[in-house]
Amino acid sequence: MSNTILALGAESVIFKTRRWNQFFVLKWRKTKPYLLEEIDTLLRKTRTSKECRTLTIARELGVRTPAVYSVDLNNYSILMDFIEGTQFKLLVERLDQKQLLELCQRFGQSIAQLHQGGVVHGDPTTSNVIVDKHFHLWLIDFGLSEMNATVEMKGVDLHLIRRALETTHWDKQELMLNATIEGYIDTIGKEAEDSLSRMNEIRERGRYH
Amino acid sequence: MPIICLGLEGTAHSFGAGIVTSEGAVLANEWDMLKPSQGGIHPREASRHHSDLGPSIIGKALDTAGVNYKDIDLIAFSRGPGLGPCLRTTATMARTLAAKLGIPLVDVNHCVAHIEIGNLESGFNDPVTVYVSGGNTQIIAFAGGRFRTFGETLDIAIGNMLDVLGRHLGMPFPAGPMIEKAAKEGRTFHSLPYSVKGMDLSYSGMFTSAKRLFSEGVPIPDICFSVQETSFGMLAEIAERALAHTKKNELLLTGGVARNNRLTEILTGVSERHEARFHRVSPSLAGDQGAMIAWNGILQYLSGHEIKISNSHVLPKWRTDEQDIIWRGQNE
Repeated sequence: MSNTILALGAESVIFKTRRWNQFFVLKWRKTKPYLLEEIDTLLRKTRTSKECRTLTIARELGVRTPAVYSVDLNNYSILMDFIEGTQFKLLVERLDQKQLLELCQRFGQSIAQLHQGGVVHGDPTTSNVIVDKHFHLWLIDFGLSEMNATVEMKGVDLHLIRRALETTHWDKQELMLNATIEGYIDTIGKEAEDSLSRMNEIRERGRYH
Repeated sequence: MPIICLGLEGTAHSFGAGIVTSEGAVLANEWDMLKPSQGGIHPREASRHHSDLGPSIIGKALDTAGVNYKDIDLIAFSRGPGLGPCLRTTATMARTLAAKLGIPLVDVNHCVAHIEIGNLESGFNDPVTVYVSGGNTQIIAFAGGRFRTFGETLDIAIGNMLDVLGRHLGMPFPAGPMIEKAAKEGRTFHSLPYSVKGMDLSYSGMFTSAKRLFSEGVPIPDICFSVQETSFGMLAEIAERALAHTKKNELLLTGGVARNNRLTEILTGVSERHEARFHRVSPSLAGDQGAMIAWNGILQYLSGHEIKISNSHVLPKWRTDEQDIIWRGQNE
């Protein structure tokens, strides 16, 4: 078995590993000595189990996610499918507008499928979407996901999409947001209004007025 | 000859006057903070504080710097974001001075000024900034010609949360330093709602639970300890998310809450994990003060920006990412 580091995330180290003649991702939530131990342990534990659970639930809701092979709750690591593809974030500048809008719509549809099933992703950035060679979208990184989502939680999820687009794809943010919302409404229909108006409301909170 | 700028800050409860040269020397940085005897800050009281004390604070800054009004080349003022009445009082003083002295006026974004004075002090070029104060909790980084807010609080600012909690626990304003002191005596950790959403966070749930601990008779040091560890842990996480996302290698801590040593210790750990350099802005430049306004005024003026008095209305909701950062060029 050989490990290479794919990424150092905010809360984990991501390895690409070869086992049984196949590639996998090993996501390890390493300890953070600068946090209070109780908090560190609780986060590692809850994020690991949430991620495992939601990866499976999301797939049942029709959203492509990596399959989980094993979980180690002693050192807080997950072994899952390695998805061959490119982060959506890195593709944005390379695609023509039609392709880009198509992907944004599908991103909106995937988020909508989760929301319909009462799930929020929790960190829906373009870094957490992988596009494979068939142009299929895969959602990853479910450590911040939640079940039994309320309108507020869905509104926050949509707010985070807008936030990610405005900080990372500033020159295309409106175009991308509109296409994403279009896909979201396509899937959910009239009920999308509640979460969408909550998204706008959330943006205005927390600011110094 | 270096340019000398007088910067006036007055977005909230503090009024400050700073005098800075185009070489980056802070010649004076005088301020006074309104400390309400009870309750929070009333915008009108704060603006009266600014108009009552402003002229003497400006005079004191000139004395400290050893300069006269005629030596000042430029007036800068905090145009927003902030409390309307406070902004208007400060802007009025700035306009009057600029008109009377016949020198240019520059409008400065308060949040951007916090970052750039931190860069001046640290020598950083392109940091992820953790800006934590009574009114703001933001993770900001430069991208595409603007300072963009990658994360922020979805409800209350951390400094406000600490102050209001402190008031509830019987501490005077500002409560941050007393909470920090009490937290050192804390022994038992009580789990509180930990709420990170993407690169945003929320403190209202934690705040409500912390108040409940008090009504249940949990000792104040344990409450302070639990609140600090939880709220700073959340901040560390969103700072980490921003570092991982932007791949920048400098981490800057600024704002009034930057004075907290435990927060500094946690963010030092974060920066080590991500192999980033870390700097905490020193207290005299981290809070709301005029030097940062003066320095940003110089940066803007030297890249060709000034504002006509007739266009200089205040912007209470001026977002960090609404200002073109002309002195930095377009590169990320």
